[in-house]
Amino acid sequence: MAEISSGLATNYIYACTRMRVRRSLLIPREDYLRMLNMSLPEITRFIGETNYRSEIDELGTSFSGINLVEEALSWNLAKEYQNILELVPGELKYFTASYLRRWDIQNVITILRGKMQGVQPGKLKEVLIPAGRLDKVALDRLLTEESPERVVEALKGERFYPVLEKELPRAMETGSFAHMENELYKGYYARLIADATEGIKGGKIFLKSIKLEIDTRNIQNLFRLRAGHIREDVRELMIPGGSFSVEELQRLSGLEDRDEFIDAIKRQVRAVPLLNALEAIRGKGAIHEIEVALTRVQLDQMERMSKRYPFSSLPIMVYLEEKKYEVANLRALARGKEAGLPGERLQGYLVM
Amino acid sequence: MVDFGTAELTLEMIQASQLGMKAIGAGLAVGLTGIASGIAEMAIGSAAVGATAENRDVFGLVLLLTVIPETIVIFGLVVALLLLF
Repeated sequence: MAEISSGLATNYIYACTRMRVRRSLLIPREDYLRMLNMSLPEITRFIGETNYRSEIDELGTSFSGINLVEEALSWNLAKEYQNILELVPGELKYFTASYLRRWDIQNVITILRGKMQGVQPGKLKEVLIPAGRLDKVALDRLLTEESPERVVEALKGERFYPVLEKELPRAMETGSFAHMENELYKGYYARLIADATEGIKGGKIFLKSIKLEIDTRNIQNLFRLRAGHIREDVRELMIPGGSFSVEELQRLSGLEDRDEFIDAIKRQVRAVPLLNALEAIRGKGAIHEIEVALTRVQLDQMERMSKRYPFSSLPIMVYLEEKKYEVANLRALARGKEAGLPGERLQGYLVM
Repeated sequence: MVDFGTAELTLEMIQASQLGMKAIGAGLAVGLTGIASGIAEMAIGSAAVGATAENRDVFGLVLLLTVIPETIVIFGLVVALLLLF
């Protein structure tokens, strides 16, 4: 009763319903299958008739072809995420904001890589997605900086500044930002767990979705490492905090036989959909198929959890994730069509 | 000081008191069911506003869904009318 009278519950119901409605408006599987048989201009026109209409119309004069699609998708994603951040109430806003910080990492790494290779700020700006805490203005300011060091310096005070500062010399020396990127994402997940366990109401449910994501990422990475025949110490590359400990993951990665490896993972998981997916993976060879299958399971599981906790952070997380994959799918479709790949081949890369 | 325990009640006094009790009962019937429908409509209403904000076409439907708990207060009103008349 106290919860009801505080007025919090109604805000949650309002926000979660909006997310559910938006989720129902995402592009369905049948439309993806139809788009697989279309050419790039047809796809552009098709998405111009859906949620992406205003972006396609707005950018139609300054871009064309594949760039128009790419830009429209990025703009739409950023606009959508910022809009969600505005409409979610109280604690949900806190969790959503900390979740969206991943885009800050992506943007900063893109800027650093671009600066390192001397890419023009205008060109760099086209690939940024200002969906996180760093908005367009903040990113523009970073773009005007001369060198990677100056960019990092300008980020003083941000949560991830200590990692940037620590990793920059090594990255500059080797010319690769891969290690820094790994560290930033590990820091991001650690911070998400810290936010979820801080004692804020609804944190436990939020933690479940983060753990699910960490587990999926780790399993995907193990499969990727196997595909690349990398047998070295993987502890550096794994994200701690999921239901698998880093030591366990290291042990799993050491298993030579593929079937044995899948069996070992299966012994550790209890979720039936994941078990089924792992069983189905046995017959698949291509790494992208395995990744898509695991991502699909993650999304389905989040969706199921969001039905168990209908008015929590989960419906919002589900929508944010599904939207992310919708944009990724459309981008893959458009890029694939541009490169002249056949529809059957592209289908394997779409999370539908 | 009047001792109510032993004071003699006249027929008029008893009738007036019964009328009063009926009025209180009718008031409670309408009042409590009103609060109950309010609580029920709160959740449905906020979901309805959320759905309408995303898609205007559902306005008619969600309006109907929102007022369904009104039936509770109508039952209360019927009980109150039965009590009073």
